[in-house]
Amino acid sequence: MDMKRSFGKGVTGNRNGPPNKKTRVQDEEEDPSAFEEELALMDEVENELAGDDVEMLDCMGSGPAYVSTSSKWSRPPVPPLNPKLDRIVFQQIDVDHYTGRHMPGMPGSTVGPVPIIRMFGVTMEGNSVLAHVHGFAPYFFVPAQPGFKEEHLGTFKDALNNTVLKDMRSNKEGINQTVLAVEMVSKESIYGYHSNRKVPFLKISMAIPRLIAPAKRLLEQGFQCPGYSQHGFQTYETNIDFEIRFMVDSDVVGCNWIEVPPGKYNLRDKENLSPNDPKHPPQKSRCQIEIDVSWEDFISHNPEGEWSKVAPFRILSFDIECAGRKGVFPEPDKDPVIQIANMVVKQGKTEPFIRNVFTLNTCAPVIGSQIHSFHKEDELLAKWAAFICEVDPDIITGYNIQNFDLPYLLNRAKHLKVKNFVYLGRIIDTISVLKEQTFQSRQMGKRENKVINIEGRVQFDLLQILFRDYKLRSYTLNAVSYHFLQEQKEDVQHSIITDLQNGNDQTRRRLAVYCMKDAILPLRLLDKLMCVINYMEMARVTGVPLTYLLSRGQQIKVVSQLLRKAKEQDLVIPSHKVDPGEEYEGATVIEPVKGYYDVPIATLDFASLYPSIMMAHNLCYTTLLNTSIIQKEGLTQDQYIKTPSGDYFVKASQRKGLLPEILEHLLSARKKAKTDLKNEIDPFKKKVLDGRQLALKISANSVYGFTGAQVGKLPCLEISQSVTAFGRMMIEQTKNHVEERYTVENGYRYNAKVIYGDTDSVMVKFGEEKIQETMKLGHEAAEYISSKFVDPIKLEFEKVYFPYLLINKKRYAGLFWTNPQKYDKMDCKGIETVRRDNCRLVANLINTCLQLLLIDRNPNGAVEHAKQTISDLLCNRVDISNLVITKELTKTDGEYAGKQAHVELAHRIRKRDPGSAPQLGDRVPYIIIAAPKGTAAYMKSEDPIFVLENNIPIDTQYYLENQLSKPLLRIFEPILGEKKAESILLKGEHTRTKTVTTSKIGGLMAFAKKRSNCVGCKSVLDREGIAVCKHCQTKESEIYQKEVSHLQSLEEKFSRLWTQCQRCTGSLHEDVLCTSRDCPIFYMRKKVQKDLGDQDKLLERFGPPSW
Amino acid sequence: MFEARLVQGALWKKVIDAIKDLLTEAKWDCNSTGITLQAMDSSHVSLVSLNLRAEGFDTFRCDRNLSMGINLSSMSKILKCAGNDDVITIKTADDADTVTFVFESQNNEKVSDYEIRLLDLDTEHLGIPETEYSCVVKLPAGEFQRICRDLSQIGESVVITCTKEGVQFSASGDLGTGNIKLAQNASADKEEEAVVIEMNQAVTLTFALRYLNFFTKATPISNQVTLSMSQDVPLVVEYKVADMGYLRYYLAPKMEDQDD
Repeated sequence: MDMKRSFGKGVTGNRNGPPNKKTRVQDEEEDPSAFEEELALMDEVENELAGDDVEMLDCMGSGPAYVSTSSKWSRPPVPPLNPKLDRIVFQQIDVDHYTGRHMPGMPGSTVGPVPIIRMFGVTMEGNSVLAHVHGFAPYFFVPAQPGFKEEHLGTFKDALNNTVLKDMRSNKEGINQTVLAVEMVSKESIYGYHSNRKVPFLKISMAIPRLIAPAKRLLEQGFQCPGYSQHGFQTYETNIDFEIRFMVDSDVVGCNWIEVPPGKYNLRDKENLSPNDPKHPPQKSRCQIEIDVSWEDFISHNPEGEWSKVAPFRILSFDIECAGRKGVFPEPDKDPVIQIANMVVKQGKTEPFIRNVFTLNTCAPVIGSQIHSFHKEDELLAKWAAFICEVDPDIITGYNIQNFDLPYLLNRAKHLKVKNFVYLGRIIDTISVLKEQTFQSRQMGKRENKVINIEGRVQFDLLQILFRDYKLRSYTLNAVSYHFLQEQKEDVQHSIITDLQNGNDQTRRRLAVYCMKDAILPLRLLDKLMCVINYMEMARVTGVPLTYLLSRGQQIKVVSQLLRKAKEQDLVIPSHKVDPGEEYEGATVIEPVKGYYDVPIATLDFASLYPSIMMAHNLCYTTLLNTSIIQKEGLTQDQYIKTPSGDYFVKASQRKGLLPEILEHLLSARKKAKTDLKNEIDPFKKKVLDGRQLALKISANSVYGFTGAQVGKLPCLEISQSVTAFGRMMIEQTKNHVEERYTVENGYRYNAKVIYGDTDSVMVKFGEEKIQETMKLGHEAAEYISSKFVDPIKLEFEKVYFPYLLINKKRYAGLFWTNPQKYDKMDCKGIETVRRDNCRLVANLINTCLQLLLIDRNPNGAVEHAKQTISDLLCNRVDISNLVITKELTKTDGEYAGKQAHVELAHRIRKRDPGSAPQLGDRVPYIIIAAPKGTAAYMKSEDPIFVLENNIPIDTQYYLENQLSKPLLRIFEPILGEKKAESILLKGEHTRTKTVTTSKIGGLMAFAKKRSNCVGCKSVLDREGIAVCKHCQTKESEIYQKEVSHLQSLEEKFSRLWTQCQRCTGSLHEDVLCTSRDCPIFYMRKKVQKDLGDQDKLLERFGPPSW
Repeated sequence: MFEARLVQGALWKKVIDAIKDLLTEAKWDCNSTGITLQAMDSSHVSLVSLNLRAEGFDTFRCDRNLSMGINLSSMSKILKCAGNDDVITIKTADDADTVTFVFESQNNEKVSDYEIRLLDLDTEHLGIPETEYSCVVKLPAGEFQRICRDLSQIGESVVITCTKEGVQFSASGDLGTGNIKLAQNASADKEEEAVVIEMNQAVTLTFALRYLNFFTKATPISNQVTLSMSQDVPLVVEYKVADMGYLRYYLAPKMEDQDD
């Protein structure tokens, strides 16, 4: 009954009516919080749209089957379907397979276990669909033995079948036919040029995917077909995932639309109406529509035109709160889950249509959201699981759900023995289990992840996406939201969470608001970063399921495209054994002519350099030659080329390469997407197209990487080293062309000079002072040089840097101009403004200096600013948040070889207060503090808050010498000259004023007596308890007033900061609990609080005011 | 105008060597009675207090109170340029931002002057109140230096136990323990070799050797060193500066629960 009441509360919360927004802004006193207001507004808008209140029912379904209990939660009802007349069209979002029994009427093997593909998706109306796709069997190829005759195929099949059967250790499924078929086909290996001759291959189809590996092993070891000699077969395409194989063969790409024509499918019933009919099994899933279809009978639509649309997927974002104990990270077998906030949005809409929070114990209502309170935790968990099943989300997101929230919930439910909690997926009888997995890729390094299977729902953990796609200083949700949304949230320490939970329904309400904010932020971020659309487009372009993009590396994307093209041309891909080979030479860098350039510098870029090299020179697996092949085939000089790295490839006249074809397809598709993008007016479709062109670009560039990945599926060093060799050559040639043509002798005003070049671009100083002129020359040069290279290699002129500061290789800054009227932005590469391993002071200082140098053209101002900042640093006037350095704690204490500052600090904090100690994987913030001479640097780290609270002296010298000096000198040396820069910036007059702070801790502080100084003249006073010395006595009232006004200004500053925090927290009548270490306001607030206390004490020395 | 001339210039060198490892920069407070320096090291565990009376100098003039902020490593570099027998004069104008060091060789054949820039240091004035100590031990400075150096091979801290019979220094560490006992020896032949203990109450205190080793850098200043101790208050290590004043170091005792 409790449920009913709380549902009621959620709705009756509207009784007060969401007040008019405008009046609220004026009257801030009554403002509960910006976020709550937003929530309330969402409700208001919805009610206007819907017109009527949503009715809540008494109970929720608790059975594992799909149950609809509230019209708001569940999906729209399925329109009546007649399998004979109605087609089913849905966008598939996930593809997997399982092993089942053959279904009569479907193709494929009729005996034994068969693999069945499952496609999950959603219709345009928002109904969920599961299609069981029957009849597709896994297969691979081996080249036929020389002289193998077609009539012996049967013998070969039986012999292989027996061999595989014998090899099997156990046979639980009762497989008696492992090899389904062996066919003779005409194919060609993708690797190397074979004069376009196809040779006979055997296509071997297996019963289930698992059997491919043993078959491959047995064939490679040496297999004897009766009547032939023993032969070690090279196998082809054995390492292809079954899903990919299926998608390639049926032209399905990730997230495309599938149409099942009428009469071609069987609709499954909820209940088992005909238990004896194997053609009508009951529903196995919680999807609304469940069908069986043959793999040959459905239509897969290319994601073009009408079919590039996106179905209204349901995206659930959730966040949990646990009541941890003081000093320990929450453990699922001890600490309860106290709240779970959920936000569900339909793809394409901005605001979530379900906003609720499940709470343990009562909670005061929050307008615009529903609160479901429970007395018992197991009930809460059970209802939440039921909620998931009912809402039936297609995509589950959140912040770090993969490694924290979901595993915690699963373990907690297991501990409490909550029935049916584990059925989170869409398949009725499959439970979700937790696994550990190590994932390693070049892009992300080594990571340990937890993996939970939730069939049919895509887990889209925002944190994982951010790790993959963005390099940030801090990955806390707060920092990330601030970075992308300029939106902050309250950062409550987990020890406080327990206190809030143990308070009353108001404190729990506070927690609920906090929790809901955590749930909605990932949705906002997904929307802002367009993750879903971009990833979906990437899946469509590369043809892999959406989940692969998150759980797999880069290679699978290229493999999928390669397979699709190879299939068209009857090519087969050998199964490559992983064998790390030698390195090859990378891209070239033209030695930079360092300096500060006060004339426009034109940048000439090669458009898609590596892809266009591969296209221009027909570099591919299929065109690869070596000298023996050239002799054998009798190729003439004009039929092949020798690359600068000494490798041979045939020209396109002999054979057009496969990779160039893929690249052409990708680049032309990108061109098309870009033109469509220009013409499109619908903002949502625009997003889709933009996502697509980006996906196409990334894919085109990853092809080169694939050929160079030595541990990859099919590396080919000849290709990758030829590509880089061509690249190097072209950069050199461009330099020569430019410097030969643009000379005074040829009638130009100045001699042009290439001052720098890197990978695919060269920087040219034409000498002209005007941007307009430089641009003209740039365009001309780009055109002229393009004409010297093979099509489609194209040199483009895009931008001018003016002024330009070239510091070193890959380090430069400049103002970026694309039109002569106005600069676009300031562009910095490899400079401290973008790096993460330093304190914010460095980034801010360098950034401001560069702005002064480049935008305002005020080098003196920049020097002055740098001096001022250094002086502030030495006088302790710099805000402490600017001095915080963060480093990720990646390993446990023992694993670090050397001692490191952040590790030592984590260790010390653990001793002081185990609860607030950083966990593995956290970024640890620290400050370098002053210490006696000879103290190792790693011992000088300290927690910023501890420093602030105890007034510990900061090692300003360290910040000056180890943080500021190098980056500052780097940018100022080209301007001031090497020696001068150092003496002006680091040794000047401004470094001679210092403030020495007095720490509150330290062994001697307990004994030392601070002698009071005169407030007026700072001289040491003879006795305590007075404010001024006898010389200043006459001015006492003046001094007093000055100090009072200082107190007032501090009070005002504190009030402002406090208000700022209250706004962020969203409550004006509660204490601010936030201790966000990413927030500069927090440090300022703390500091002012302390200053205020000191100032108050100082005023007390004047004694009680009296007349 | 401030001017102080000292014939035995080598004393300046010894003083600077005695404090430059503990402090990076310091304020020299000058007034008509002399020069004082009082500062804590950056971790606030020890305090240096130097007092050089005006009458100890050959000439001393200080028109108004002033405090000079000087980077001690710079000062040490400058003083290295002076010969051991040179006469050293330190002078500065009232509102100047530099201080001048003049070195005259004994025979007046060579005069060199060096100028260094002053720092503007904003610090709080901290001091340790004078108190009566339970134990005052006087011992040869070289002996004390030796003890501290030897025991720092064994462990990080030293336990000083002072009784009527004598004073014991002990340390323990991973490789073992070490004990050094000095018996009261007031009647030694030479005055500088005497070990004198005055005590009201026995004490046992623990100190970080790291800091004591910084303090014993002052050994060349004086033949004798005085250790003043009371239970749970800072140790005072005092070196007399002949006829002029003293150089004192204060060091907080180590508490039992502290581990570093």
